[in-house]
Amino acid sequence: MRVCRKERGSLFVLHFNALNSWVLGKAIHSLSRIGDEVYFEPLENGLSLRSVNSSRSAYACFLFAPLFFQRYEYPVASDEDQDTNEPFHCKVLMKSVLNVFRSLSSLEKTVEKCRISLNPQTSRLVIQLLCKYGVVKTHNLSFQECESLQAVFSKDVCPNLLRASARVLVDAVVHFPATLSEVTLAPSCGGRVIFRNYLEEETDPSKMMLTEMALNEDEFLHFQISKESEITFCLKEFRGLLSFAESSSLPVSIHFDIAGRPVVLSLEDPVLEVHFVLATLSEAEVSGSQKLTGGSCTQDGNRLSPSEAVGDDFQSDDIDSYMIAMETTAVEEATVNGCQLPHSPTFPLKGSKRTEGSSSTLLKPGGRRKDLLMLSNNKPESESEGENEEPGEVPGTPPNKKFRSLFFGSVLSQMDALHHTGLSEEVLAEASDVEEDS
Amino acid sequence: MPLSTQPETGDDQYILVANLDNVRNLSNILKAIHFKDHATCFATKNGIKVTVENAKSMQANAFIQAGIFQEYTIKEDSVVFRINLTVLLDCLTIFGTNALPASSTALRMCYKGYGHPVTLFLEEGGVVTVCKIHTQEPEDTLDFDFCSTNVINKIILQSEGLREAFAELDMTSEVLQITMSPDKPYFRLSTFGDSGSAHLDYPKDSDLMEAFHCSQTQTNRYKLSLLKPSTKALALSCKVSIRTDNRGFLSLQYMIRNEDGQICFVEYYCCPDENIDEREP
Amino acid sequence: MKFRSKIVDVSCLSHFSRIVTTISKLTKTCTLRFTDDKLYFILSDKVANGGVSMWCELQQGNFFDEFQMEGVSAEHNDIYLEFMPENLSRALKTAQNAKVVKIKLTKKHCPCLTVAVELPSLSSSSRIVTHDIPVGVIPRKLWSDFREPSVPDFDVSIYLPALKTMKSVVERMKNLSNYVIIETNRNGEMNLKIETDLVSVTTHFKELGNPPWVFEDASQGSSQDRDPETMAEARVDIRKLQQFLAGQQVSPTKAICNIISKRIVHFLLLHEDVSLQYFIPALA
Repeated sequence: MRVCRKERGSLFVLHFNALNSWVLGKAIHSLSRIGDEVYFEPLENGLSLRSVNSSRSAYACFLFAPLFFQRYEYPVASDEDQDTNEPFHCKVLMKSVLNVFRSLSSLEKTVEKCRISLNPQTSRLVIQLLCKYGVVKTHNLSFQECESLQAVFSKDVCPNLLRASARVLVDAVVHFPATLSEVTLAPSCGGRVIFRNYLEEETDPSKMMLTEMALNEDEFLHFQISKESEITFCLKEFRGLLSFAESSSLPVSIHFDIAGRPVVLSLEDPVLEVHFVLATLSEAEVSGSQKLTGGSCTQDGNRLSPSEAVGDDFQSDDIDSYMIAMETTAVEEATVNGCQLPHSPTFPLKGSKRTEGSSSTLLKPGGRRKDLLMLSNNKPESESEGENEEPGEVPGTPPNKKFRSLFFGSVLSQMDALHHTGLSEEVLAEASDVEEDS
Repeated sequence: MPLSTQPETGDDQYILVANLDNVRNLSNILKAIHFKDHATCFATKNGIKVTVENAKSMQANAFIQAGIFQEYTIKEDSVVFRINLTVLLDCLTIFGTNALPASSTALRMCYKGYGHPVTLFLEEGGVVTVCKIHTQEPEDTLDFDFCSTNVINKIILQSEGLREAFAELDMTSEVLQITMSPDKPYFRLSTFGDSGSAHLDYPKDSDLMEAFHCSQTQTNRYKLSLLKPSTKALALSCKVSIRTDNRGFLSLQYMIRNEDGQICFVEYYCCPDENIDEREP
Repeated sequence: MKFRSKIVDVSCLSHFSRIVTTISKLTKTCTLRFTDDKLYFILSDKVANGGVSMWCELQQGNFFDEFQMEGVSAEHNDIYLEFMPENLSRALKTAQNAKVVKIKLTKKHCPCLTVAVELPSLSSSSRIVTHDIPVGVIPRKLWSDFREPSVPDFDVSIYLPALKTMKSVVERMKNLSNYVIIETNRNGEMNLKIETDLVSVTTHFKELGNPPWVFEDASQGSSQDRDPETMAEARVDIRKLQQFLAGQQVSPTKAICNIISKRIVHFLLLHEDVSLQYFIPALA
């Protein structure tokens, strides 16, 4: 097995054997439950495949160590090459990659080797499947160069940890319907772990079946609850991880804290690390309070009261300790369109608007980046539409209004507060010069 | 077991009578060309040919030769009618589609001629279903004028190797490009979809390749939406022959073995699409 | 009002599950009635159902190891509940390898039928799953809506052919037409007919046999004088017939069809421990 650094710019070569091609396919299927794009980075410590959902409330990362490959050549910065001073990061449309690995059963039966490389002349990510009978399938996928997607989270500071075999967790969630969006996990110090279906605020409780599944502490490989809490998170995304875990027979670790703080699900293996980071509903929402005005919480007697009140005002909270921050590779500047914006220590707010469909130009510092604030700014609008959303919306996609963006809590809540107190001023609204002529 | 329920009064009025012990030997073949509601049936003493066309640039034909039927009587040189193929298939499969070896449905198909419906008698386990399907005025069918002397490239592949790949073709691509060549890549299917291009290569020495006769490199493009329905025929067949002629016309011939081991053929013809722009690889 | 029950036997559980699943395929909501020896699933004929009605009756002793109920009063020892059988079907579906299943009436945020399932686990204590199915309690004054239907004064009564064959035929016919005519006679013959502009299809079933009903009342025997060849017929919405046939999970011991010409079609399916009746009104 060869591992080496590719001297030339952003070229890389990855070779997988038959079984690992199937594992890769399974990972893609799992990522497809999260977002619409796959972030692809061949790094020194391995190939990372990541995805994040549009509301930034779910993030997943698969890291395949170099030993996973038959051949692993990753790109490094070369001194001569002025344009490339960073490794290669790109993103590809999820459905494009999923198309390559669409049928896992045919992958298992016919694929003997998989090769991934970059074709610099055509600017295409090349995925080649070498199959039985000498058949070769070559997919040339267009990609977009982009910043590295990295969520900063620390599962080690989470006070609670549950670890169980995937089988046990699959058996637990099988009792919930496929269409259920959110599930609540409530371990108690009494040694039971309860899964419960979560009813959205709009649904009439006298119409919905409530299901509760209790597992005993000794079904878990590890049971450590330092801070009693209940967390509610997206079931579809959880199942995405479980389906991968089951096929790999790796135990699943669940690291969590109080409601509102993200839950980290992880799988570990000598050659593979998988992390899913999911936002959880904050206590205010779970208790069924009306949106955010006044922040009043109706205390439901059956619910655990949080050990610390998580109010709506996040400004005073230490963002780092409970939010998952998005790190990007650009330099900090805190102005957008000339306005001074609240400065977050963990994520610099950059200027230029997100450009759609740009060609694969290389990143320059301070160059083209997603406007993070723009993204969160969109939320209030979609929230107002979301108020009257039908229960029949796509299951598993947490409605924007519910889940705080993992990354922009403070800014978002500020926006929300503005929205709900009637101030319609949008920081990044484009000036539209509409002339009203007769 | 031949249908002997009720002797049809006026049996001599029928210009075409065909009996099958196992109706699936007809319905399965027809499913391989069922991508439009209407079909034209041509019956001669050699058997029945059913034709379905699309967009005036593609044609599919299913041949059920006289020897497949347990009884086949035709009183005229040729009998032609147009019929709703969807309705015909619903009737032929009236007792369900489960292929249980113990139960088979027998068919008797009768036609009195122009202006009359096609009458089907289907029997399974003593239960009889009678269907009368209205026919329409036959329309002219295309003549692709595809003859073997003009064939430039021909290969015969085992269907097993092509089935899944064909079913997984990127449907966001407008075209299916077929390259056949005496040199690499030998035989290549390409699509150019929203996410990029994809190529499926079969080497000439692959175990799947039963015959490889390519004299000239040819690359032709066809509308994918027209050829996608051939996936059904591919799924049923054991072998497929792929030929292109000097005009770039494509002929796909599928060899299908029915439940009694008899061979039937289905063929697809398609004109190359001239209007598609060159796309990047 | 109280209700507590327990199923321990795995084949009883699976049988009960299948019955509930069949009911859930026939209707979205229905009435569940408990007496001390029976369980009923009832759908009364409202316009909302398109005039279809259903009566399904089980002997509780054949399914439950424990069954205790207390109705609204000693005089009226019944419980009538309205619920969605789909919920119960779902709850039972994942309980197939359970050690014990308990079903009881509870009051949570609203009256519920609670299904508590004890499942085997890898550890010392079992896994417990509870499902709270919201139900509506039907007050006594409405009980008269749910009376047992009497066997209609039919023109023809006949044994049904193999349901599997009937189901295949009706499914295909559904692609071709919205209505089907059911014809039966006292000679054991049944026809299913559709006719449209494009096609006409008739399926002939023979030698089905006619059940020997015994009439207590002499006047009911009037249909005895009927010419055996004459067909009683009813034209029905094909989807309702297809829905009835598609829902059947188990082959019945006896399956009977009674027709009052141009009025109603009555299906009666008898299994060892459960009977199901289904009425489809005839259309003009």
